[in-house]
Amino acid sequence: MTKTTLLWALPAVAILLIPALTQNPYLLHMLILVLMWVVLGQSWNLLGGYTGQVSFGHAAFFGIGAYTTGILVKLGLSPAAAWSGLLVGGLAAMVVASVIGWICFRLRGPYFALSVLALSEVLRLVALNWNRLTNGAEGILFIPAFTSKAAYYYIVLAIAVACFLAIRRVMGSRLGYYFLAIREDQDCAESLGIDTTRYKLYSLLVSSFFTGVAGSFYMNYMGFIDPGIVFSIENISIMMILVVMLGGAGTMWGPAVGAVIYILMSEVFRVFVKRGHLVFFGVLIIVIIIWFPNGVVGTIGEWRARRKAQATPAPEGA
Amino acid sequence: MKTRRTFMVLAFLAVATLLLSPVSLAEEKSFTVGISLPLTGPEAKFGEMKKQAYEMAAQEINSRGGVKGLKIVYDIQDSGAKPETATSIVEKFITINKYPLIVGEYTSQCSYAVAGVAEKYKVPYLVDTGAADKITQQGWKYVYRLNPPSSLYGAGLFTFFEQVAKPQSIALLYENTDFGTSTSKAMQVYCEKKGIKVVLSEGYQAGAVDFKPILQKVKSLRPDIVYMVSYLMDASLLMRQSKELDINPKAFVGGAAGFTLPEFLENAADASEYVMSATLWTPQVKYPGAKEFAENYQKKTGKAPSYHGAEAYATTYVIADVLKRTKSHSPEDLRAALAATDMMTAFGPVKFISFDQFTNQNSMDTLVLQVIKKKYETVWPKSAASGDFVFPFPRWRDRK
Amino acid sequence: MSGQVAGQLELLLQTIISGVLLGGLYSLIGLGMSLIMGVMKIINLAHGELMMVAMYVTFWCFTLAGLDPYLSVLIAFPLLFLLGVAVQKFLIAPVMEVESILPENQVLLTVGIGLVLSNLALLAFSADYRSVPVSYASKAIYWDLSLGGQTLSLSFSVPMMVAFGIALVLGASLFLFLGRTDLGRMIRATAQDKRAAALMGINTKRITYVTFGLGSALVGAAGSLLVPVYYVFPQIGGPFTLKAFIITVLGGMGNIPGAVLGGVVLGLAESLGSVYVSLGYKDAIGFVIFVLVLIFLPKGILGKGSA
Repeated sequence: MTKTTLLWALPAVAILLIPALTQNPYLLHMLILVLMWVVLGQSWNLLGGYTGQVSFGHAAFFGIGAYTTGILVKLGLSPAAAWSGLLVGGLAAMVVASVIGWICFRLRGPYFALSVLALSEVLRLVALNWNRLTNGAEGILFIPAFTSKAAYYYIVLAIAVACFLAIRRVMGSRLGYYFLAIREDQDCAESLGIDTTRYKLYSLLVSSFFTGVAGSFYMNYMGFIDPGIVFSIENISIMMILVVMLGGAGTMWGPAVGAVIYILMSEVFRVFVKRGHLVFFGVLIIVIIIWFPNGVVGTIGEWRARRKAQATPAPEGA
Repeated sequence: MKTRRTFMVLAFLAVATLLLSPVSLAEEKSFTVGISLPLTGPEAKFGEMKKQAYEMAAQEINSRGGVKGLKIVYDIQDSGAKPETATSIVEKFITINKYPLIVGEYTSQCSYAVAGVAEKYKVPYLVDTGAADKITQQGWKYVYRLNPPSSLYGAGLFTFFEQVAKPQSIALLYENTDFGTSTSKAMQVYCEKKGIKVVLSEGYQAGAVDFKPILQKVKSLRPDIVYMVSYLMDASLLMRQSKELDINPKAFVGGAAGFTLPEFLENAADASEYVMSATLWTPQVKYPGAKEFAENYQKKTGKAPSYHGAEAYATTYVIADVLKRTKSHSPEDLRAALAATDMMTAFGPVKFISFDQFTNQNSMDTLVLQVIKKKYETVWPKSAASGDFVFPFPRWRDRK
Repeated sequence: MSGQVAGQLELLLQTIISGVLLGGLYSLIGLGMSLIMGVMKIINLAHGELMMVAMYVTFWCFTLAGLDPYLSVLIAFPLLFLLGVAVQKFLIAPVMEVESILPENQVLLTVGIGLVLSNLALLAFSADYRSVPVSYASKAIYWDLSLGGQTLSLSFSVPMMVAFGIALVLGASLFLFLGRTDLGRMIRATAQDKRAAALMGINTKRITYVTFGLGSALVGAAGSLLVPVYYVFPQIGGPFTLKAFIITVLGGMGNIPGAVLGGVVLGLAESLGSVYVSLGYKDAIGFVIFVLVLIFLPKGILGKGSA
């Protein structure tokens, strides 16, 4: 076994064994949230970090995924069968995404970001007012299928791994180069013959699918949703951006690191600081943005590159 | 760079200690109860009111030597009104802190989420504000509720309508939240049953600046009663703007919440005069201890308490009573003691029964209050009244 | 004219009046954002929180010194200007200078600033809802209009009319300031082409300080004017930030008359929507108009470029 495979295998085994080692539901709950946010971060990162299309309204897809599952349950699906919502919810999010993409991809930069936000708010209002379908503000509830946290842990872990692999696959393919080209210079990409609208849409479809899956997972896990929770701008849309920016936009591991920081820091501040804990959270965001402009992973990558450059002396210095 | 790294290391250590050490805050000779409350976010105000009342009651009980020598200690954590956070707080309470009893929360959403966790771990949870019907309609064994469900908030109002107001038509305006929709739905069902015509029923997004367009629509429909279920400040704005538009139904009636808080009198000022509201509790109720609670609360916080404070205060006394009767501090024995509760509190009688579709639900009379000379008076039912009601309301232009 | 028709007409007219007056207030909230977005091309998600700060200033001026909310504009305006300059100078400007993969870093920075502001307010002033009990809060001027034998009774809210008037005055002064003064011209030059402006010897860095300060000051003024008719609490900002975006886009970024008009359009759309569509979908109407304008009239309803 080579050193690198060992380096990968050890943490992988550790992650797989966590539920066997600890039955502590609180710890597992935290880890489940971290993994869910890894999925959300990864999805946003594909569209925002790699393709350069910053969306302020990804809660739209999260909410659609959650509500698809919720409505399936409302229509009489058993809690166990509600897991099929993972797929259906992801697909429903893709359908909505293709409509939103069709509307919003005519716009660029901040206009795109804001128009997605506007449409996600419209979806929230629809979920709030379409009582017959969604129960309105009352929300949809059901008794989740499993009582053990370990089951949820493995399911969300599987989703996170699938999401990670899928995105790595996409980024390793020709598609990935198109995405990067669009991010670096859309006009240039277009002049090279890349159908930018089409590829932006592809990126959005993959991104929205996994966001929808995460939303559906949330419904299955929490057993309760209402429009204010799953279509939240502050708690979902903005936090997805935060997770990616904290970890490092346009990096493979950034969203994972960001998710860990986000969940742990908000918990630490909440428990230890108590009064005014969100002030510290806000300060943390500011500090990270100023000192780690490309996120933790991105900035560490830069340091490494710089160190490497220093280690190999420049030709003229030799 | 070094400081940054040190910071990350410290943060990591802090997290590690937090997760790995089952810290128990409970000292000897005390009984700790876990409370999750919204202390940040838009509901923070209500979380704060309840926190004050919990602490006040615990202090009273502890200064008298506690219960069987035990002091009641509260571990209050901020959920920010997010169900996700409330869940993780209570998971931690139960599995790490090993608290055998959970109380608190404010919104229905969070109360429901907490109830689910408590039921799962078989730890009793006493709901004291979350009002959505569904919370005690699940047949859950470990979930008890001190306050009535939202569909029964208006019970006192219904008898007032039948015996005094006898309205022909009504307009319903409610905030688009779980509480708002379910309270107004209960009113709508009642009106349809009694043949009262519902001329308008619209939900709105809490926090709007201008209600005048919809109020003008209400005016053009000329209902006998305008019934509003509103968040705190929306209640004031609705009344101020109704006055401005000179809308004159026979009565403006609120569905508890925003219409029952002292801030409503302050903010709506003249426009609050004569406004009626369903309520669960007023400082003038004749329950023992209610008056003292109201006075002490006023002294401590500078404000008159609303029913939210009374709920939290009474909850503490229920806990004390349960502690007195319980065989041990195991969740199971505490649950049994809670189930057997039959006592009087400053908030009213507390006894958990099952009726209709509800289980472990306290059932109590609800009241009607009215603003008279800038003060809340209890006007209905007659037996509990502290003042006479004014009905129908004088027209705005006829008032001095 | 029958009574019923008169009733419907009264409803329509009153709805329009309320909508236009509300729009005046919205305009003022949008002006600041339009200026900032037009000149600096940045998205400020702390806009509503800046307004919240001004509202607390107004509230405390009234409570502690008995200062009328309209007079406290004179305090809130310069105070928020300084706050805006500080935010730009010490937080946003340094971030905009560093290279990063996504320029949207600064957006997240403003999220952080907003979080800090609203939670500091929560710590300092508690979660209480505050309002100032001014005597004119629900004062209105009534106009009884005789039409075809029926009387239509219309009301014009006094504080809303004052806010509308001040919005117009501020909008006009800003317009003149940008068009007629050297500093204003420099701001416009920076908006059009930052590099060219810098080459012409304009200290564009200082221009961005002034612009952000001015934008904050304007939303501060809006906050002061909002206090008599509304209320303040630490978390008030969010929804107003969204409204400011809608207005900015309706009017076209950096377009001052556009922002005023955008505010009125939004106010009207909300009012008419809440009566004739559904109260629940009132806010959705604003968002739908927003997206439609973005797609079909990308330069705003007045169809002109920025400042």
